[in-house]
Formats: sequence, structure tokens, C-alpha cells
Amino acid sequence: MKPQGNSRGRIVSLKVHKDIYIDMEIRDQLIASTAVPGQFVMIRTLQEANEHLLLRPFDIAQIMPEKQTLRVLVKVKGTVTEGMRKLRAGDEITIRGPLGNGVREIPGNTMGVLVRGAGSAAVLALAEKAKSENKTVITFFSASTEDALIGVKYFENCSDVLHIATDDGSRGYRGDARDLLHDYLKEKRIDCLYTCGSRRFARTVKDLDAKKVTKGYLFLEEYMGCGVGTCHGCAVRKEKEDGYYLVCQDGPVFPASEVIIE
Amino acid sequence: MKNPVLPASGTFEINEMTKNYLDPGKLGALINKTVFKNFRPGNDPPRIVETSCGILNSVGIPSKGIEYFLEYDLKKLCSYDVPVIVSVAGASIEEFSELVGMVSERGMGNFIELDLSCPNLEEEKIWATDANLLFDLVKKAKKVSALPIIAKLSPQVSDIAEIAAAAESAGADMIALINTIKGMKIDISKRKPFLGNLSGGLSGPAILPIAVYAVWEVYEAVSVPIIGMGGISNLESALEMIMAGASAVAVGMYNFVDPGFMLRLIDELDNYLLENKITNISELVGLAHKGR
Repeated sequence: MKPQGNSRGRIVSLKVHKDIYIDMEIRDQLIASTAVPGQFVMIRTLQEANEHLLLRPFDIAQIMPEKQTLRVLVKVKGTVTEGMRKLRAGDEITIRGPLGNGVREIPGNTMGVLVRGAGSAAVLALAEKAKSENKTVITFFSASTEDALIGVKYFENCSDVLHIATDDGSRGYRGDARDLLHDYLKEKRIDCLYTCGSRRFARTVKDLDAKKVTKGYLFLEEYMGCGVGTCHGCAVRKEKEDGYYLVCQDGPVFPASEVIIE
Repeated sequence: MKNPVLPASGTFEINEMTKNYLDPGKLGALINKTVFKNFRPGNDPPRIVETSCGILNSVGIPSKGIEYFLEYDLKKLCSYDVPVIVSVAGASIEEFSELVGMVSERGMGNFIELDLSCPNLEEEKIWATDANLLFDLVKKAKKVSALPIIAKLSPQVSDIAEIAAAAESAGADMIALINTIKGMKIDISKRKPFLGNLSGGLSGPAILPIAVYAVWEVYEAVSVPIIGMGGISNLESALEMIMAGASAVAVGMYNFVDPGFMLRLIDELDNYLLENKITNISELVGLAHKGR
């Protein structure tokens, strides 16, 4: 089966949390049967007459080939995501994917996850893969407040240990999830650490990687035009030479030592 | 050309992902992202932002330089049974000629496009805004070129017909227009320009009427073929461009919206010809000018 362009995905279920988070399950046979954790999709609502034409990138949070569906978690922040909030189960959307390079191999036996808010969606499918391969998954989940702990329930199922931190202390530790991570690392080792959703977290993971505490990986998000390596919009500066990687074509997951986080 | 649809320079690349959506061998022509003499990293991000019915980009044309291009990318482009346009840009008239000479010597490709009009290059001029300078540049490039020359023009001039006529009289074999139009978006939450390079080039359906008018004006002024681009997003916009005077249409932003779009457009144009009993698309070129 080969795509001839964008396809139509059907929404199987859609829940809106606290007005700004959308949890959406989409049926698309091709994407659900071929996607690899770490890949992403581009989505737009169907309104062709809408002044917004570009599809927007979203990480695939769960891949469910047996149901021919995928899950996407969305934070409403602009006109396009605002339009997505009005969708209902049964509606169709324009979708393209799977895009980007998935992660085929997770190094070591213990995988660390350091995520914030809706950025957790990016790492979820990978954490589920790790669990299915009998690896140990240690998750450090951060959000501004309990309401912003979008996706945390999915991590409950695939994490051996789930640390939660909120800025206001409304759930879990009050403060920075990195405090919990550093405490954990004083006593135990994690073989690799994946992060998404916060530039501060990305810098921390880069730092731990540089000090060889763990192998660090960054799920990067950038403004994207095409998602297929042609518009050169999603540029991220290379660490080891002059020039840029493209998040869509060379990522979206990068070894922490390869990219500069501005 | 098998058909009149091709990508605009810098908006379509043949890679493992786009090959899933489109067979490059079915396009009317292929073109590279404009190549420069030396390596260029491109501009700082953010490089792209959507605006009403269009996008602003300040990518700044990253390039691996002409030598790498001739060695690797050009071979890849020429591996399809499709005419290849080599797009080049120099920092000076002499450098344009040098690049044209290097491409000519390689003996590959079918056309050379002089990118005279990218709005995102800090250090370089928009050559296509000065008829005398452009004349000189095209004439010198033509002299050393073994291939037909296409002059890619900017709509940001007071008289596009004059510029196109200068290009033609300097020996340009074809005119391509329009390039993107300089624009800016302010991030009101940060209270500063959104793009890393501050300003960018606007493309997409928002600029279609500007492009159609530019093609119309140039069609009246020159007799060489025109490649029309700027806002092609469906059959209707392609037909407008052709009826205004374009012999071929190039797709830009819509390759980002849907990487399979160009092939669909080719099919839709074919169907339109069939339904309207038109044997050759050339019958439509400039049709809007007739009987006025």
C-alpha cells in the first residue's frame, strides 16, 4: 500500500480535557500498520477553504495496529488546533504520515523518560515499546499543574516507576521534575534518557549525556511546513559542524550530543 | 516536457519520504534548490510561518556548494526521464557566469535558471530589480552557457514587463516568475518579528493574483515562453496562470501542503483538456489576451 498524497483519517474518539488538551484516536490503516515509535503525522481539519492550509505536525502517542488506529495528544494553541477541538468522533481529518525516523532500538535495559505536559505524547509510544521488550521504564513527568498532566494515565501503564512533579504541587512533587531525576541518579542508573516538551529539560539531558551519566536523546519540535524534508523550515543547529539538521528528515529524535538547543 | 507541471525551485526534493508520495519521473521537469558557489548553512530558525492563505519563509537557501551539487545531486536529478533545470545564484555577475560555466562543462541538465530574485539573501541583491544590471548579468551568463537560460524574476518592481524585456534582449530563452514577495510577521506575544531572519518571502494562494498579473504583463512584452508560479493550489489557479500567458506552471507552497499535489494537478489538467476537447495545452496559453 502506497500513499498518493494526503489521506483521510477518521476520528474514532476525541476527548477534550480542561478546554486545551485534545486526546484523539484516529483510524488510518496505513499509518497504524507501518508507524514506528518516534515518528509523527501531519494533520489538518478538512476545511479546504480555511485560510490555514499547512498541516501541523503531531507526535504519534500510541500505535495500535490491531485496531488500525493511532493516538494523538494535542495542546490547543492556535487557530488550527482550535479547529481540531470542535471535531467529533466520526469526523474525518486530512492526515499524512508516518513521517520522520522512528526509533528502532532502545539502548540498554533501563529507559528513562523526562517529559513535560503535552510533550509526553512524543515519548509515549517509545516507552510502550520498551515495556513490550521487557525493559524497565522510569518516567519523570512534569507539568505546570495537575490539569496539564495530559497523557499521564498512559504512562501509568507502561512505567515501572512514575515520578510526577507539578510546578504548583497540585499533584506529586512540588517543583522541578529534574530534582527527582537527579535524586534517582544518585542511587541508580538508567541506560538511556529520552526527553520532550521543554528546552530546559533538553539542556539537562544534553548535560547528563556529555557527562556520560546516561545516553541522552531529544525529541525535537519545530515549526514545520512539509514534514517531508523539502521546505527546510524545521532547522536545528548541528553541534559538531556548521549547518542545520532538519527535524522532519533527520529526526525528530536526535542524540543529545548532535544538536544545539538554543 | 511531458506535461506543463513542475516544482518551483526549493519547494520539492527527491528523498525517501517524498518518493512515497510522488514519482518524480511523471513531472514536467525537475529543478534543484538554487545552488551557490560555496556552502551556505541557511538562516536561523524560525524559518517558516503560516499567514493567511500563504506562508512566509526565511530559509535562506542552504546549499552544499556547486562542486558537491555537480558531483551528487545533479546526477540524482538526471536519473529520471525528465528535463532538468539547474537553478544557480551568484554573489556577483562574474560568479553567476562562473557557475553557469561550471554547469555547462558538466554536460548534464537541460536548462539553467538564474535565480535573480530571492528576497532572503542578506548579502546579495535582488538582481531582477534593475533592468541594466540584469541585462548585463544575463548577457554574460548566456555567453558562457551551453544550455538555454531561464531568468527567474521578482514581482517587486515597478515595471515587470521592462525587466522581462531586458532579460529577453540579453538572450534569456525563458522567463520564470514570480519569486516570493518580501513580508514580515510580528509575534505579538514576544513583541518582535517572528522569523529568525526578521523578514521572509511570502508564497501561496495569497500571492496568486500578483503572479497572474505579472505573467499577463510579461506575456505582452516578450515572445519567449513563460513559466508561471506563485499560488498554484488547484486546477483553476493553474488554468488562470496558463491563460494569462504561462506555458508551464510551477508549484511551490502546495508541495508542502500535499506532497502528492503535483501529480493530481497533472491528472486534472489532462481531464480538463479532454472535457473541453482541447488537443494541446498550448492552445490555452495566453488565451485571456485574445479578442480583447
